Amino acid sequence: MSDAILAGLPSEAELQRRLLGTPARRGGRGWRIAFAISSALTLLLVICVTYTVSTGIGVWGNNIPAAWALGIVHFVWWIGIGHAGTFISAILYLFEQRWRTSINRFAEAMTLFAVLQAALFPLLHLGRPWFFYWLFPYPAVMQVWPQVRSALPWDAAAVTTYFTVSLLFWYLGLIPDLASLRDHAPTRRRRIIYGLFALGWRGNATAWRHYRSAYLILAGLATPLVLSVHSIVSSDFAIGLTPGWHSTIFPPFFVAGAIFSGFAMVLVLVIPVRAVFGLQDVITPRHLDNCAKLMLVTGLIVVYGYVVEFFMAWYSGDPAERYQFFVGRPFGPNAPVFWTMVACNVVITQLLWLRRIRRSVAALFVISLLVNVGMWCERFVIIVQGLQREFLPSKWHSYSPTWVDLGIFAGTIGFFSLLFLIFLRLLPFVATSEMKELRRELAHEEHA
Amino acid sequence: MTTHVFAEYDDPRALAHAIDDVRAWGAVRVEAYLPYHVPEIERALAARPSRVPYAVLAGGLGGAIGAYALQWLLNGYLYPLDVGGRPPHFPLAFVPITFEMGVLFASFAAIAAVFVGGRLLRLWYASSDVHGIESATGWRFWLEVAPLDRAADVDSLVEVVQRTHPIVVRRQEVT
Repeated sequence: MSDAILAGLPSEAELQRRLLGTPARRGGRGWRIAFAISSALTLLLVICVTYTVSTGIGVWGNNIPAAWALGIVHFVWWIGIGHAGTFISAILYLFEQRWRTSINRFAEAMTLFAVLQAALFPLLHLGRPWFFYWLFPYPAVMQVWPQVRSALPWDAAAVTTYFTVSLLFWYLGLIPDLASLRDHAPTRRRRIIYGLFALGWRGNATAWRHYRSAYLILAGLATPLVLSVHSIVSSDFAIGLTPGWHSTIFPPFFVAGAIFSGFAMVLVLVIPVRAVFGLQDVITPRHLDNCAKLMLVTGLIVVYGYVVEFFMAWYSGDPAERYQFFVGRPFGPNAPVFWTMVACNVVITQLLWLRRIRRSVAALFVISLLVNVGMWCERFVIIVQGLQREFLPSKWHSYSPTWVDLGIFAGTIGFFSLLFLIFLRLLPFVATSEMKELRRELAHEEHA
Repeated sequence: MTTHVFAEYDDPRALAHAIDDVRAWGAVRVEAYLPYHVPEIERALAARPSRVPYAVLAGGLGGAIGAYALQWLLNGYLYPLDVGGRPPHFPLAFVPITFEMGVLFASFAAIAAVFVGGRLLRLWYASSDVHGIESATGWRFWLEVAPLDRAADVDSLVEVVQRTHPIVVRRQEVT
């Protein structure tokens, strides 16, 4: 298989035609079926959310002690998935990794749509979501202000900032391609719509100069956000005294897990899209291989985190910590979730050491799906299993979700897919102007 | 009424040479239109470094200082609640929101600086009416030299531009 990051060096006009032509393509039968399923699941989400809001979160399976349960499991899972988008678009840009160009737009969109799903859960979990604005310091007549020494307002600030900066970064990257779509649109209606969103971009050198400066700076600003958002999310747990939560390893452990699951989701999305749109020369085996390697590295950091957690529980001598890790999680209620986590995140990931597996599209797709399952299980283990076995045995209780919990989760998967399918039809999902620039650099190197 | 001269090229190096030639001829206001960023063009135009970083610094500092001050106002002054004996003005606990707001406002400033510096968000530009300039967002490279007042200057400039082997040269009257 080829190791090129742009196979065959197509001309700039050819890249323009193929990559910017995707929004003009009609959706095939497969797209319509996927759209119908996603829409149905989104409808389920609307029903479940309406039921929750109108009845109260008592319709969820949450109880005492498992008061956080699936709502927060899904919040952490979705927001973690978003991390790979920013990692690819910002960190790999700063490290001048040119292979990121083909998949950065794609991954950034994934980030935005995943963070939207994530934001839904804490809002619903508030119980009275219509008062969500109490988290922000608006001039309230009651003069009761947010308690900024708590991790909850930190979360609100971190997630809001992460979403906004990711949106700005994504949109800034889109502007030259939107202008190109405007200038080459087949119909007047498209020309007007894309023209409005292109914000008057003409491609003049002065604008490019400021654009590149801002793009580099936004990459630099987004980089610490990748680390800070999940670190702050992990603080929600680490500042609590619950056995299994009160640990200083949580911030790096959470960040690594987030990037791990994010790369898995990138592969789950990229693999079918490159096949459907025939982009094997633009998203090459090299891209899949690199994503798999990063998944392996971050997966190993996650495994290291597991080892440290177990070691520290034993080394602390704390009976509650020891019970949590050596009895509660592997043998207590919901123990199969723990073992699924171990199988998916610890065992199956090791297959990625094999080049043959990393270069097999089918194997990579299945492993990526299983990693997403494994990371969901990890969040469940930390949150639900942690709360099931706190200090007082009299407080011990098991947890099981209701159909509303599961319906909301399935609904967010549907809504995420729906947004993604719409994105594929309306916008260029490969950064075309950056690909043309990359093509020119590669052509120069070839001739040098 | 001034006359702008536009020329289309199929290669950025040809455009860079053309920029050198028209600048040697005496043109002062020279602009290029590109489908992607080309460092050689930036060098040929001898453009000043972008001022976007200054705007970002101002936005970031403003956001961070404002966020810290607001947190002090809320929890240190207006509503100094005793939580576990921790002081109401607690700098360590104010760090996450201060950092996040610094990044957020720095990002807003970066985008605003691109809009202002790149002169975006306008409904009409001198280049808008030039036939074929849409290719500048596709795969071609355009030169603009403006403004020149006297007809003799325009003819002389067009001659210089013609010698740089463009695909096409166009004159555009701008009021």
